[in-house]
Amino acid sequence: MSASATAMDPRRPWPVVSGAKPGSGHYDEFLVHPARFLLRAWRECGELAEFDLGGLRHLLMVGPRAQEAVFRAPDDQLSPSPPYRFMVPVFGEGIQFGAPLEVERQQVKMQSSALRLDRMKGYAQVIAREVEDWVAGWDDEGEKDFYDELKELVLRTSTHCLMGSEFRARLTEEFGALYHDLEVAVSPASIVDPYAQSEIFARRDRSRARLAEIIGAVVQERRREGGQHPDMLQAFMEAEYLDGRKLSEHEIVGMVIWIMFAGFHTSSNTATWTSVELARNPACVPEIVREVDSVYAPGGELGFAALRELPMLERFLFETLRLHPPLVTLMRRVLRDFAWRDVVVPEGDTIVVSPYVAHRLPELYPDPERFDPTRRYPDDVFAFIPFGGGRRKCVGNAFAILQVKSILTALLSRYEFELVDPPESYRDVMPSLILRTSEPCRLRYRRRRR
Amino acid sequence: MRIVVDRELCQGHGVCVGEAPEVFRVAERRGDYAQVELLVDEPPERLRAAVEAAVRYCPNRALRIVEAPATPARSGGSAPASGTESGPAPRAR
Repeated sequence: MSASATAMDPRRPWPVVSGAKPGSGHYDEFLVHPARFLLRAWRECGELAEFDLGGLRHLLMVGPRAQEAVFRAPDDQLSPSPPYRFMVPVFGEGIQFGAPLEVERQQVKMQSSALRLDRMKGYAQVIAREVEDWVAGWDDEGEKDFYDELKELVLRTSTHCLMGSEFRARLTEEFGALYHDLEVAVSPASIVDPYAQSEIFARRDRSRARLAEIIGAVVQERRREGGQHPDMLQAFMEAEYLDGRKLSEHEIVGMVIWIMFAGFHTSSNTATWTSVELARNPACVPEIVREVDSVYAPGGELGFAALRELPMLERFLFETLRLHPPLVTLMRRVLRDFAWRDVVVPEGDTIVVSPYVAHRLPELYPDPERFDPTRRYPDDVFAFIPFGGGRRKCVGNAFAILQVKSILTALLSRYEFELVDPPESYRDVMPSLILRTSEPCRLRYRRRRR
Repeated sequence: MRIVVDRELCQGHGVCVGEAPEVFRVAERRGDYAQVELLVDEPPERLRAAVEAAVRYCPNRALRIVEAPATPARSGGSAPASGTESGPAPRAR
């Protein structure tokens, strides 16, 4: 099946990653830790590295120019739809890649207009208030698992901003648990066959159906009672396709699951990693805290403009995203032969761009594994790609940054953080396709003396 | 000063509109993503700070300023300027 490193296909004049097994290719190693596998692939093969996931041929393309070419290619040449079909049972048939391209494009537009910054001006304050409510249960000092804490906090802030205060008020533990079932099902195994018989996929389907009931009930209630709501759910309820058709309830539910899915674990894992790096790099903290104190005090107002006055916190967050990008594989299926420099990637292959690898190129980021928020970043849009790039870049990127900055501003205004365990014990792990911190992820917090 | 829009990067977030509404607007486009449109080709110097903020805060870094030599003034029309272009795009073929 998979080519060995010696027998080179003349149509594919690039190296194949070592260690492929007959039949499954590199699947087993990929499954253990996709990010680590891709880093090894690049180290061994360079900017083009072929690998095989259970008979599906993949080509990792590394470097700002290769990444740019992929991000600028049109949808009908490089398509995200086939490689991401494992999202269809999560979001629902007829949603995103479960819909034809022209429908999907209109749905993305609805997502991005619901996320327009002019709608988001009030969100910083909502988030700061949520953090204050949350830490009201903390003591003056103690230990917490920050993976758990920030997951809950991001769930609360996201649902509040995106689905309104009445939904947030009724948020239960069940909702987070249902989302967790969806996340677990988005695994390397789902890349191969998202409809395979498995308990994990069966639970995904049950949880998705239950989420549809919960969200659908809110939609019906709003339809009955009317009224104005300044949130994304309302934007979806009012959105129209070009032919004037409104989203069905099934589609609204799918859009909500999609936007929450895209922005829940990605943001919570980023907020967790940022907290860990703050605890692990205490020398950076005083300057960031001074910055935070200049725009926010506990109980005060946190405005959209104030968050722009936090360049050090922002650089710290970017350095966290550089080393720990939550999405490590961005995939495109080649629908028409794709020429890149002197090679042609043939139709049917899958191209992989990896933020995890792209952010570790030593010629762009000297001593790449060193966490250094003061480092100079290359002046190249396609060198730093935690949200992807081009027209398919994550449409929630501005909201995500706003959310994580708001959460950290509110936390740092009250507390200081320390590691509980040895620094090297906090690692990147990938039980699903989303990179996160290893567990336990314990930090000690202490109320600041002001 | 002239503004260049990289259309392959713009997703129509509208941050630029918030910074400089005299210069930018987000246009809905049939069958496609919404995108920025320039209301003036060469904004006057008094808007420089606002335009620079729009460039700096664009979440997709789709805007840049080029310092163009002065061109003859246009006859006053109200139609949106169309003189935008894509940035340098080393495309795959």
